[in-house]
Amino acid sequence: MAGFKEIVERLTDIVGREFIKTRPEEIRGYAVDEMIPEAVIFPGNTKEVSGVVKLASRENLAIVPRGSGTKMCLGNPPKRLDLVVCVSRMNHMIDVDTSNLTITVEAGVKFRDIQARLATQEDRCYLPLDDLTTVADEVICSDRSHSGCFLPMDPSHANEATIGGIIAANSSGPRRLLYRLPRDSILGVRMVAPTGEILGSGGKTVKNVSGYDVSKLAVGSMGSLGILCEMTFKLLPLPEKMETLLISFGSFSDTSDFVEGLFETTLLPASVDVMNRRAYSHLRMDGIPDFGQGGYVSAIALEGFEPAVERIRNEISHMAKANGARSVAGIHEEKHPLFWLAISDLEQDLAGKAPGHIRARINYPISEWRGVIESAEIAFSGADLDYTIQTHAGSGICLANLLVDKEDSEGMDRAVITLNSLLGHCLRVGGNLVVERAPAGVKERLKVWGEAGSDFVVMKRVKDQIDPAGVMSPGRFIGGL
Amino acid sequence: MKKQELIDSLKEIVGKENVLSSDMDLALYSYDASLAKGMPDVVVMPASTGEVSKIMSLVHREKIPILGRGSGTNLTGGSIPARGGIVVHFSRMNHILEIDIPNRTVTVEPGVITLDLQTEVLKKGFVYQPDPASQKVSTIGGNVSENSGGPHCLKYGVTSNHVQGLELVLNDGTVIRTGGKSWDNPGYDIKGLFVGCEGTLGLVTKAVLKLERAPEAVKTMLAIYETIEDGANTVSAIIAEGIVPATLEMMDNRVMRAVEETIKVGYPLDAAAVLIIELDGMPEGMAENAEKIMEICKENNVREVRLAKDEAERAILWAGRKGAFGAVGQVRPSYLCCDGTVPRTKLPEVLAKVIEIGERYDLPIGNVFHAGDGNLHPLIMFDERDPDEKERVLKAGTEILKACADAGGTISGEHGVGLEKLRETSFVFCENDLEFERRIKKAFDPDDIINPGKMIPEPVCVQ
Ligand SMILES: Cc1cc2nc3c(=O)[nH]c(=O)nc-3n(C[C@H](O)[C@H](O)[C@H](O)COP(=O)(O)OP(=O)(O)OC[C@H]3O[C@@H](n4cnc5c(N)ncnc54)[C@H](O)[C@@H]3O)c2cc1C
Repeated sequence: MAGFKEIVERLTDIVGREFIKTRPEEIRGYAVDEMIPEAVIFPGNTKEVSGVVKLASRENLAIVPRGSGTKMCLGNPPKRLDLVVCVSRMNHMIDVDTSNLTITVEAGVKFRDIQARLATQEDRCYLPLDDLTTVADEVICSDRSHSGCFLPMDPSHANEATIGGIIAANSSGPRRLLYRLPRDSILGVRMVAPTGEILGSGGKTVKNVSGYDVSKLAVGSMGSLGILCEMTFKLLPLPEKMETLLISFGSFSDTSDFVEGLFETTLLPASVDVMNRRAYSHLRMDGIPDFGQGGYVSAIALEGFEPAVERIRNEISHMAKANGARSVAGIHEEKHPLFWLAISDLEQDLAGKAPGHIRARINYPISEWRGVIESAEIAFSGADLDYTIQTHAGSGICLANLLVDKEDSEGMDRAVITLNSLLGHCLRVGGNLVVERAPAGVKERLKVWGEAGSDFVVMKRVKDQIDPAGVMSPGRFIGGL
Repeated sequence: MKKQELIDSLKEIVGKENVLSSDMDLALYSYDASLAKGMPDVVVMPASTGEVSKIMSLVHREKIPILGRGSGTNLTGGSIPARGGIVVHFSRMNHILEIDIPNRTVTVEPGVITLDLQTEVLKKGFVYQPDPASQKVSTIGGNVSENSGGPHCLKYGVTSNHVQGLELVLNDGTVIRTGGKSWDNPGYDIKGLFVGCEGTLGLVTKAVLKLERAPEAVKTMLAIYETIEDGANTVSAIIAEGIVPATLEMMDNRVMRAVEETIKVGYPLDAAAVLIIELDGMPEGMAENAEKIMEICKENNVREVRLAKDEAERAILWAGRKGAFGAVGQVRPSYLCCDGTVPRTKLPEVLAKVIEIGERYDLPIGNVFHAGDGNLHPLIMFDERDPDEKERVLKAGTEILKACADAGGTISGEHGVGLEKLRETSFVFCENDLEFERRIKKAFDPDDIINPGKMIPEPVCVQ
């Protein structure tokens, strides 16, 4: 094995001197669970990534890929770490083909830049329209369709996250109720395998059964099977009308009766979120109603053709009132995307406020949503924790933020015990509990990925075949993969 | 292991009436809906996951090739025992195990016929969306393995988007569950890898499928064109307008004629092409969208647009589409269906190329296809008994797939690679891509006994 200095020289040959960082003060910010890499490298394209990974695999260096860093808190602390490979320079939109409703982008492209690029008019964008943070020289680019389109995904930290990170982490949000999961939008992928080869799968067509569906394997693989470099997605026409209903309830039973009633209907809202007052009060957005103390807020996104949205709005408002809603408010026009952006940023905002903050993501069969929230609330309040809770009703996710102070070791103990027992409850109802953020020391006392299922045996076989030397994100993923 | 010994061991597992080994029986399992053929050594019909697991343990020990079979309707040789061995026919595992409305799922055994499942859930007001034209006979096990598509996949996605969980029997007999009633399960998306694996990674013994509420309203239209190009342009224009219909299906004159000769649904025989357009969902906004679509059709020189007035008229429009393959089968003894798929804006260009190829090889080609998702199905009609003609058919088929790949598309949208398109994989994959697939295969099937010889070509030897 070559000395690290020599390796750095060779890495420099691949990416150029200004795109590799090795000085401690430069790389401290790239630590993964407090583990500091030897170097951080910024390749400019897929070929350079391949060069870097080839070298790393020959020298048996452990790599963790990175986008904007919004999801570096996920996973177990790595078993070892030499290189952080940051794809932020790979920010080209390679093929924006709105006539075919597909887009191909490099991994470092920011989610919001994609949405901005797909908008056709200033006032019609799926996210609050900002200037593009990157100048993208597109190779192929068809005419924009008249109505504009969007990438139907709803990740957390939507403003900052890169598309590569979103896919690697399988990040989704409230509007998955209507638009489903990242696995349903991805059509193709080009990645660099742990041995350094560039390989591809899928393509630009919405139907494709030529070879194994490697794109699906890539979604949620957490950088353990290679570095995602380019991805193709299917797009949707931008909804004609978008708005949000905010409904406040005094009690959880009123809220849940309302939600259950809503799911008995044939209405198709884009999301039905329920959050406790505490979560609502932390949303970073001006001009939303106060709703007073206590209780729950249901936030419902309506996206579709105007007459359909009107009908859903009317019927839902009616149902809400019949179920004892305290008040119903609407959020319109440019405030609608801002509201959902605030929802997607909530976790990071809280992490900024409370160092030591722990975030849990509970999944469960959708029929269990009521029981899961109730058990979680009983557990958290019983342990005297300051918490927020939010659930994507109808699509099986409940998110809890525990605002614990890093120095409060007793509080940490209570949080750990509570989460471990809540995991048991989730498993009993056919769900799981993933800890998405926790201080590195605390992670060791938690099952970060919940409990692996019976399919873990094949996950391990896949990892062993694809990455026999264990150079890609070693140990970070489920079961220490 | 001697053949008789194998047969006896299998009889012990599933009972002697569920093992077939006479020449006549085996011949029935030697073909599917493709042109490929191959004889199995024995056919076995298990009734439970436990039995499948025992069979798998046996072949694991003895290194005997094995493959699953649903109804044998796949079009690429997927259920042909290319290296002999055991065919596991899932005809007895054909139960709908649970319809779970609160969780919007249905759990089934793999031998359930797609349409039977759809009929059952519709009684409760729900739909299972993927609707291959073969839904009356195809099984869920086959749909999962081929990642089948259908007319409604334009709006709702292919089989893969509707499979939430699977129970699988691995190469060594281990039974695992991947996914389930919960949408999110930490770890690799093993079910996602399994859907479309063409039966090469293991056997499927249960599937948890996603249900959706039946749409409140449906509107079906038939647009009639003087040129196929006008029809294809309409397809792109509708999508560009921001409307994603449930269906955009197209049929050319040759196929319409075949349909009229057999089923008679009243297609205009003097037109070049028809486009079936279906909208579904909430009724609000639907009339406006239908209006917009009519306008777009007019801008693209439509001759006439017929709107189905009721369910009966709608059924007639669809009968022609669903029966098209069968009807074409009546015109000439055989057909080869090329499943190339292109970005939909490339349709006019590639269709012109298909016509040109047909003329050059002097072969009749009918086109009936999922226009909305760019999935062509040129049906090259021929007589298998004429070796010269068959030779030309295979060449023309390859050229068509090449044209699709060159237009930025792929060699298969929904039928798979199987035995048929092994060589054509080189149009879309390089050696690195294939090597990665081989490693995935190896992770699941290190002995290469599960549906061997399909989907991934042997590595090319570089001296
Ligand atoms: C007239 C006609 C129209 C068609 N239309 C369409 C269409 O519109 N869209 C479309 O996508 N396809 C279509 N097809 C193709 C075919 O119907 C589909 O591929 C279908 O999914 C195959 O189902 P099957 O039950 O017949 O499976 P089979 O042909 O028996 O098997 C298909 C593959 O699945 C594997 N397999 C089956 N069951 C299992 C199991 N339990 N575990 C593991 N592997 C298993 C087999 O080994 C094989 O590789 C059509 C075919 C015909 C003949």
